[in-house]
Amino acid sequence: MNRILVVDDEVNIRLLYAEELKDEGYEVATAATSAEAVEKLEQNAFDLAVLDIKLKNESGIELLQRIVKERHDMPVILCSAFSCYKDDFSAWLADSYVVKSGDLTELKEEIKRVLAKKAQRRAAEL
Amino acid sequence: MLCLRLESLHMDYDATHWECCWDRDLQSLEDCPNLVEGDEDLLVSRSRRFLEKCCDCDMFKRDLARFKESGHPLAPIFSVLHNDYRRQRSHIQSLSSFLDTKSLEVRFLHELGSVLQSSVDLEEVLSVALTAITSGKGFGMNRAFLLLADKDRHFLRGHLAIGPRSAEEAGRTWHEITSNDLDLQALSRAFRHSELTAERDKFRDILDRLVISMDNIHHVVVRSLEEKKSLLVHDAFNNPDVDPALAQLLGVDSFLVLPMLARNRRVGVILADNAITRQPITDNDLRSIETFTFPVAFAIERASLYERLQEEVAKQQEANRRLQEQQELLVKMEKMALVGRITSSIAHSIRNPLMVIGGFARSVLKATPDNDPKRSFIDSIVAEARQMEEVLDEILTYSDALYPMHDFWDANQLVETVLRDIQEKVLAQNYTCRFYPADGLPQVYADYKQLTYCLRNILLGTIDGLEDGLLEISTRLDNDQVEILIEDRSNRLEQEELEALLTPFAETRKMGSGLNLALCRNILEKLGLPFSVVAPPDDGIRYSIKLPIHKEEQP
Repeated sequence: MNRILVVDDEVNIRLLYAEELKDEGYEVATAATSAEAVEKLEQNAFDLAVLDIKLKNESGIELLQRIVKERHDMPVILCSAFSCYKDDFSAWLADSYVVKSGDLTELKEEIKRVLAKKAQRRAAEL
Repeated sequence: MLCLRLESLHMDYDATHWECCWDRDLQSLEDCPNLVEGDEDLLVSRSRRFLEKCCDCDMFKRDLARFKESGHPLAPIFSVLHNDYRRQRSHIQSLSSFLDTKSLEVRFLHELGSVLQSSVDLEEVLSVALTAITSGKGFGMNRAFLLLADKDRHFLRGHLAIGPRSAEEAGRTWHEITSNDLDLQALSRAFRHSELTAERDKFRDILDRLVISMDNIHHVVVRSLEEKKSLLVHDAFNNPDVDPALAQLLGVDSFLVLPMLARNRRVGVILADNAITRQPITDNDLRSIETFTFPVAFAIERASLYERLQEEVAKQQEANRRLQEQQELLVKMEKMALVGRITSSIAHSIRNPLMVIGGFARSVLKATPDNDPKRSFIDSIVAEARQMEEVLDEILTYSDALYPMHDFWDANQLVETVLRDIQEKVLAQNYTCRFYPADGLPQVYADYKQLTYCLRNILLGTIDGLEDGLLEISTRLDNDQVEILIEDRSNRLEQEELEALLTPFAETRKMGSGLNLALCRNILEKLGLPFSVVAPPDDGIRYSIKLPIHKEEQP
């Protein structure tokens, strides 16, 4: 079972993601801040992280940069209310970018696509 | 005195001896062959009659000869006095005639000066000057050519000419002028309004070739200007001082070169000749005309300066207008940027709770059986949340579009990209979209992101809610701009509806949400791109966006 870390400062969104992604068969952990996310990443191994960009203290982009630097094998999907971040070069570090929506179909498809790509990469490495 | 002496002689001779009537009163005009109607008062005024009529009378001359033959000692003295009187009178008459001529000349120059001083219109000044040289009331030359120094004072160039090109034309023109009996101002005004362009065209072949380098100080025209001296050129075809090309061009043997200087600035030169009548040009002609070149030069200089001043004023006014437009645009941009920031902030604040509402509604919907009566309510929540998200997307895209991405782009490719993007929606609504790209278009300098956003929204706004329509898009080069023309053949709009469509947040159900077009207009205005929407009655709606092909044209 793939483990996903969801980082968002909105409790209801964390709940929604957790609920929906569990229904999809993923194991989900959530974090409200960047610091909490780092802590959870150090304690557990995750297959993928879904990050909100607007977080308190450290932004999702900064957290993304840290993850890419320290855990380059873990894919990240950025999730934001702003579509303009798609053109932000720093956001290009992410494996995917999804604009927040009550319809989580796109997010779920992206998760599947990114995880499949990761699996392919691993298989190729082996 | 002479009269008294002659009368005293009468004492010694019988009156019947004198043929002339100087010694007697007359009864009627028929008594003297020299008297004409109007001379009645001379019948009894012998002394006046003698001075005015008898002195030139052959009968009196014969009387005087007879008197001389008589051997009277005073006779030779009378002859001397008579001759001297006649000589002096002739001299006075010639002086009087000279003064009359000069008086006419002064009056003409005064008239000319008044006209020249009162005008700041270069064309009028030139018309007056050349009319003065060629009119019979003026200096009566056949033709006049005006060469003006260019702005850099490097070349003298043929600017205007006046006069007939043939004897037939000359006869016709001079007859018209004589029969109209116009004064100089009226003549020049008539010339300016009706004939200036025609005259210029008539002499175009000569004027175009009348280009003289002002560095060529050996050229007779330049020399005249350098020496500030009018010249009367004789024997032009064989004159070593005259450029043969100039003589050939004018086709005359003799012509005047009249330099025009104002405050030592070399304004230009007038060439004048008698190409039609071939009447010899005299030094007197030269002296007469050169007196008027000075005020003409000043008038030309003043009119040129005035013209340049007007140009500068026009430029200044244009600059002020642009500045004002820019200021208005800036204010609008600031407002739009503020609107962008606010909408962005609001949208962000709304999106998260909206996402939660929509997300959980979907979750609940999934868990709700199909026959549950509450399912339709949840469905509505999901649908409304989706619609609100779409509005938010639109607003956020606009906020996003406030950040420019300028570069050179291929306008045709840009349109094609947008058409590809909206292809699915176009097909879904059974719309026909035709694109007519112009060949060989230069690249346009524009913000790709914002421009494609605007194009996409104009096109989507056009087809929104409609089916089976026709949309024609074309590109074309229009001077230094590339125009993207969108012609919507299916919609019809009244002027009020069109204005409402261009007002932010206005609703016209015929066409889209109302926000799209207003935002597009604001974005394009901010980019300084001319954007127009026209809805001719019964002829659809036309949108036009003009894009610059030069970077510097971008404000």
